[in-house]
Amino acid sequence: MAARWNENIVAEHRDLQANAMSVDCTGQFAILAGKRVWAVINLDTPQDVVKKLSRQSRWEVSVVEWNPHVLQKNLFAATSNQSADIWSWADGCGRQIASLKAHTRVISDVNWSCFDSNMLATCSVDTYIYLWDIRDSRKPASALSAVAGAAQVKWNKIDSNYIATAHDGDIRIWDHRKNSTPVQYIAAHLSKIHGLDWEPKQELCLATSSQDGTVKFWDVTSPRQPQSTLNSTAPVWRARYTPFGNGLVTIVVPQLRRGENSLLLWNTDNLSVPMHTFIGHSDVVLEFQWRKFNEDSTDYQLVTWSRDHTLRLWKIDPHLQKLCGAEEFIDDVHRDMVSISPGSRHSSISGVAIEKTSLGSDKEQTGSAVEEINEKVKNVSSSATTVTAGQPQTLQQEFSLVNVSDITNVKLDLDAMHRSCKVTSVHVNNMVTLNVSFPANYPNNAAPDFTFTKPTNIDTKTKSKLLKILQETSHQHVKRNRTCLEPCIRKLVTGLETLTVDDKVQDSSQTPYNLQNVSVVKQPVMPIISYGSYRDHNIPFPRTSGARFCSVGKLVVFMRPVVKKSSNPENTPRSLSVLGTFRTLPIKGMASQTSQYNIYNTNLGSPTRDVEVSISNYYKDRDRERKIRGRGSSKHKRGWEVDYVKPTSSGLVTVYDIEIVLPIHKTLAQNYVLDHNDIPGMCKFGTLCQHCHREVKGAHCVECKRYSFQCAICHVAVKGSSNFCLSCRHGGHSHHMLEWFQTQDVCPTGCGCYCMQEDFQLYGRERTDSFSRSGHTGRERTDSFGRSGITSRERADSYGKSGFSNFL
Amino acid sequence: MFGNLLASCSYDRKVIIWKETNGTWDALHECNNHDSSVNSVCWAPHEFGLMLVCGSSDGAISVLSSAGDGTWETKKVNNAHTIGCNAVSWAPAVVPGSLIEQPSAQKPITVKRFVSGGCDNLVKIWKEEEGQWKEEQKLEAHSDWVRDVAWAPSIGLPHSTIASCSQDGRVIIWTSDDSTGSMWTPKILHKFNDVVWHVSWSITGNILAVSGGDNKVSLWKESLEGQWVCVSDVNKGQGQQPSEGPQAEQ
Repeated sequence: MAARWNENIVAEHRDLQANAMSVDCTGQFAILAGKRVWAVINLDTPQDVVKKLSRQSRWEVSVVEWNPHVLQKNLFAATSNQSADIWSWADGCGRQIASLKAHTRVISDVNWSCFDSNMLATCSVDTYIYLWDIRDSRKPASALSAVAGAAQVKWNKIDSNYIATAHDGDIRIWDHRKNSTPVQYIAAHLSKIHGLDWEPKQELCLATSSQDGTVKFWDVTSPRQPQSTLNSTAPVWRARYTPFGNGLVTIVVPQLRRGENSLLLWNTDNLSVPMHTFIGHSDVVLEFQWRKFNEDSTDYQLVTWSRDHTLRLWKIDPHLQKLCGAEEFIDDVHRDMVSISPGSRHSSISGVAIEKTSLGSDKEQTGSAVEEINEKVKNVSSSATTVTAGQPQTLQQEFSLVNVSDITNVKLDLDAMHRSCKVTSVHVNNMVTLNVSFPANYPNNAAPDFTFTKPTNIDTKTKSKLLKILQETSHQHVKRNRTCLEPCIRKLVTGLETLTVDDKVQDSSQTPYNLQNVSVVKQPVMPIISYGSYRDHNIPFPRTSGARFCSVGKLVVFMRPVVKKSSNPENTPRSLSVLGTFRTLPIKGMASQTSQYNIYNTNLGSPTRDVEVSISNYYKDRDRERKIRGRGSSKHKRGWEVDYVKPTSSGLVTVYDIEIVLPIHKTLAQNYVLDHNDIPGMCKFGTLCQHCHREVKGAHCVECKRYSFQCAICHVAVKGSSNFCLSCRHGGHSHHMLEWFQTQDVCPTGCGCYCMQEDFQLYGRERTDSFSRSGHTGRERTDSFGRSGITSRERADSYGKSGFSNFL
Repeated sequence: MFGNLLASCSYDRKVIIWKETNGTWDALHECNNHDSSVNSVCWAPHEFGLMLVCGSSDGAISVLSSAGDGTWETKKVNNAHTIGCNAVSWAPAVVPGSLIEQPSAQKPITVKRFVSGGCDNLVKIWKEEEGQWKEEQKLEAHSDWVRDVAWAPSIGLPHSTIASCSQDGRVIIWTSDDSTGSMWTPKILHKFNDVVWHVSWSITGNILAVSGGDNKVSLWKESLEGQWVCVSDVNKGQGQQPSEGPQAEQ
């Protein structure tokens, strides 16, 4: 259910830094309250701020709420720290009309009464709950004293006297006429209760959402046991009833912000699976409210405000409302209409059905009669899409109510007489004919039988998959004694589309980019959504370039194809979830500098889903988008069309030979003989006395009794690490030489040799030789050879620097 | 890569060990230990046997070791990095200082260690103690997600080096000069302008290849004074310049 992609509108308001939001009772305005500004937004054009009012306060606005009464629809209450301010919004300007000050600690919640437009309740951690009449703002009209601080206060939606408050894990119900003690205690949760909402249709029912990860539904008259419990994986921040059906919307307190930024829509009759998931926010949802689309429609919009600084409006279509059991709930505006139409419709249809029965086996006639029914159904359903009064009782009724007019490639052949129907669906080159026969006690826990008949041209594997889908769907419905034909047909169509997607890809490759074609393509269900990577903020973005040393002296480098040089670090995304926002539909002209990744609309997008999620395309598209934007946004669509090229160039993988930069010399190592039997012999290799040119084995030359190798700087015998010039043969301690040659280029002895230059030339000519002549006195030689020759970083570097004998 | 075995990890939460036989690669083992994307896998030094460490976005690190009979044993460290683990890298199997120390009678016992980096901006060093993985060190210096860590190879000199790179554009070289590895000193190699995704040590442990979101690779080397200098900068977008820096092979 969750994967259905809803139409939603996104408006970004990064500058407001708002953390509270409220929608007014007419659904026209929303207020966003931040620390510095108020902003009133017209929800018909949510990207524009109607009015900004600056505010000076050290405190954040914790809660803001419009007055729910049309009479006083211009009033809103906002709390910050210890005071609740009443503001009036009229004629495009806002003005504070009262400030309610009585609480001694920060106010945690505010709620207008549903009955008295002047009544308002505030609660605070100071343990008091105050009821205010805003006409007298000096002191509260009434005070309820609880021992514990309250997090939430809510007026009952049916009985004007009751108020519920949440104190940690407890709920208290108050009657404000008797304000000394609560009338009911409910020990609802063991953890803190974050949210509280009264059931809008039942006086004594409420829902609590808690840190313990559950939503509990209570009848306040039986405080011992919740009526039902909804289990969530994370603490639930808010759970509120929908204004239609038996729905409930929850938002969770995201644990570690792991992509749980979706709102879940539940049917309170089925708490096992959410009916719908509203996916799109990239950060925590702070507030959500309902908005009536307009007075004459049954459509609702869910308005959400998130920490990602976007305001989203989600359309709740009749289908979704139906999922929440909205057919049982018909609001006042429509009651009249419904009361007229269903009767007439039903009578006429049953009339046809009876007629059909009497016609018996005359198939042609039956067919046309059925078509007539369909025609009628279509007409009726198009005029009032949500009018589906109750569950159909008979098969005829169900048939008459089946509404698949939005699916173009399905043909239905209904035969209520034989309790069967024939569904024909064509998708690309695939044709499916399905026979559905309904058992006598359908839909009461008896699922219909599905069989494929000719003409059907899909393979057996696809057939069995489709059958499985159908059986699952039907079982789910009949288990709850609900009819299942329409859901099954829908499943069949989507199943057919997904299972035969390969054909579609092939098909679209023949016509690489055809806008007409694209517009028909149904939005594919995002395949990766099942494991949530696109929603999780903390899954890192893939590395699109990299370099790794490999053990054989090679550096393997891969990279993304370079379209053009770009070095703006802002462009490198952080997490994989930016690809997810590829899919949302922004409003034209929204703040462009912050919406880099939001500009992709799936309708405009490429025709195959594979392309849609590819990383290389991400960059490609972005670069192209930049180009297009440069030419003016009006050309956007056109630009896409013209510029679309199949991605052909992929990144290169390059292998570099990096032996030259490693302090390893293969040839030297091969020439180096380690002779275990003649270690002294091996050590002989090398040093001659500076003076008498005989071999030496220590600091002193045995022959001339002088130091075998004297440092040219400190004149002390050199025992440890040393360097000397290959030309004039003067040298000394490595560190002395290094110091000297950092500033000088002549020999420190004053012999006039330009050691650096000489050695550079020498080194260039005979690099192998230089190794054997790098002077070390005998005792340390083995070790220092080993170290300098193979790994010692410092050593290798010092040679490199001094230029005496560079091993590299 | 471990001989003819290849381990791969993926956003699909799986780690798959592949084996090459006669030129074809087949999945030898599939691990589904993680609840979120697996971001990094690293084979242990061969001295430790057939062992693999995996870091995942679910915050956990798991160590897989082959029992030898085709089965794999898993040890999981839950909540190793809050929010997620992005990179893992094994310490070399060489005991620090073993090269220059006098060879003693008994061979020193090699402690298994690995380093990990995660979304909590931390670099952590893990040590195996009595068959369990314990957090040994917590290194704090990065100001954003750590995207990669690499423990430098060693021949047994008495110091250990770890490189880490981060979303904040910094590459940090951590060094420890005692064989127990209790003190680590950070040194910023360089602050790049873009995310740094990858660090890799050369086999000799003295050259570091750094690559990141800017689509460039650079090679770094420590000078005698302890400064890290860029020895080669390959701007791949601008084409190779074979005269300076690495030579391109076909």
